[in-house]
Amino acid sequence: MTTGLASTPVSGMDAHSPRRPWDFDRLLPYLLVIPAGVALALVSVYPIFEAIRASFTRYLYGRPIGSAGFSNYVDVAQDPVFWQSMATTVEFVVLVVVIETVLGLSLAMLVLNEFRGVKFIRLSILLPMTIAPVVVGVIWRLIYSSETGFVDPMFTALGLGAPRVLSHETSAFVGLVVVDVWEWTPLLFLICLAGLQSIPQEPLEAAAVDGAGPIRIFLNHTLPLLIPILAVGVILRLIDAIGTFDQIYVLTRGGPGTATQLISIYTYNTAFNFTDYGHGTAMLIALLVFVSLLILVAVSLMRRASQRTS
Amino acid sequence: MMNRVLKLIALIAIVVCCLFPFWWLFVVSLRHRVDIFSGPAAWPSNPTGENYTDLFGQYHMGAFLLNSLVIVTASVVISLLIGTPAAYALARFDLPTKLGSAGLMSALFVRMVPAILLVVPFYIALGKFGLLNNRLGLIIIYTGINTSFVIWMMQSFLAEIPKEIEEAALVDGDSRWSAMWRIILPLAGPGLAATAIFAVIATYNDFLVALTMTSTPKAQTVPVGISTLIGKIQVEWGPMAAAGVIGAVPIIIFASLVQRHFVRGMTLGAVK
Repeated sequence: MTTGLASTPVSGMDAHSPRRPWDFDRLLPYLLVIPAGVALALVSVYPIFEAIRASFTRYLYGRPIGSAGFSNYVDVAQDPVFWQSMATTVEFVVLVVVIETVLGLSLAMLVLNEFRGVKFIRLSILLPMTIAPVVVGVIWRLIYSSETGFVDPMFTALGLGAPRVLSHETSAFVGLVVVDVWEWTPLLFLICLAGLQSIPQEPLEAAAVDGAGPIRIFLNHTLPLLIPILAVGVILRLIDAIGTFDQIYVLTRGGPGTATQLISIYTYNTAFNFTDYGHGTAMLIALLVFVSLLILVAVSLMRRASQRTS
Repeated sequence: MMNRVLKLIALIAIVVCCLFPFWWLFVVSLRHRVDIFSGPAAWPSNPTGENYTDLFGQYHMGAFLLNSLVIVTASVVISLLIGTPAAYALARFDLPTKLGSAGLMSALFVRMVPAILLVVPFYIALGKFGLLNNRLGLIIIYTGINTSFVIWMMQSFLAEIPKEIEEAALVDGDSRWSAMWRIILPLAGPGLAATAIFAVIATYNDFLVALTMTSTPKAQTVPVGISTLIGKIQVEWGPMAAAGVIGAVPIIIFASLVQRHFVRGMTLGAVK
């Protein structure tokens, strides 16, 4: 994808003397782009090239010991844990994206109009997504812990018995969904708020005058106008959620058992704990193809939204 | 009337849900070790700073902060220096269409692709050059990642500056180069500041890249430092909470500075 950036500028350099200002001006755009192009290539083209090579290499204790052909890919396809992690990831991603979209949109509707204190409320909603995901993990580890948390005592006080959220498979998964919703609903909230604010009010008011109820106005007028922008938020969140790692690393490391082992945790363990880079990178390449397709969708949605809001 | 009361209750509940976890972190960070085991409390009965002194004394927090400071500053400054000119070129000149869109696409790709997909190859590559557990290695990677972000953000800000302003300067005899420095850069100042702050937040918060490329306090950053506390001192909640507070405070300050630009920052300029 990036190669064009680094290699093309040479063609602009022939024939004319670079001393004349006209030539400098003509070369300028290329000169401006080259350094950034090199930096981008270093973190995109090069690692992907390395990853493809590693995925065809056999590793033992982290050292390459010869060519593997397609065997790493075959191993991945036949690895039940890989498919299980994929299923867990899909379940997690669908759950959090749906909940965050609904909640984010509701919150945005609630604080759309200006009133006293609205700025403070908007800032409060924003904060969870600004801090490091690791810190989010720490916070919820404290909250879920039976020693320092308030979840267990609360349930006990209600006579329900301490849930010990992170110690049981289902509750650990739900616990992680709650953490993600706390952290990332703000993103959908912000995008919905920006979208709602960019919608012209006159048609909505006209519909209200014509006697349409608030639900009808929302479904027939607001939502269709909001969807192009909402779609950007949803797809960005979707791509990001597939890679969820930090909070899980801090909270459960994929456990108990494999209940919260998303694909990112499994890949990380395969590559770095078992130092099987071949198997690890083969998984990555498979995932990369999938995510790249999503990114292409994201780009076309973003282009459309950008034209709408500018 | 009923509606307004309900809305007020909802708003209060929302603010509590968002802020109470932060408060909980802060309270645990101020509690004595013995008090922590006596059950949860929404207020520290006799607050102490011992968790913070332990954190800097025994647990290398000073080293983590210094590493983060060096790595964040270097990578953000370099990426602004190389990303802004590229953004200007993409926003203003008629580059061959393919070159322009290839540049933007690769920038977008680097920004959006989940980090887990890049860290294994990064690890192999840095290992080859002897840059593992080294600040320079992290600076190189973060510079690349931040450059992609700078290109998208700055392109979106620069596109808002009317072309006529430069054209007037060019007619007056300025060269492209001096028009860029004298006219555009000052106008793009606020956008540049916002972009810088977003890059600082993203780099300071990043965990996975730093986790995999570093192994000792020689190069570990704040989030990685926090995670090492969890492994080693499973039951020592106080220092862990204190580390969380130190990890969060600078970011909360920065984030409130760029609140106005947050949507643009998070959607790479697609939604303004």
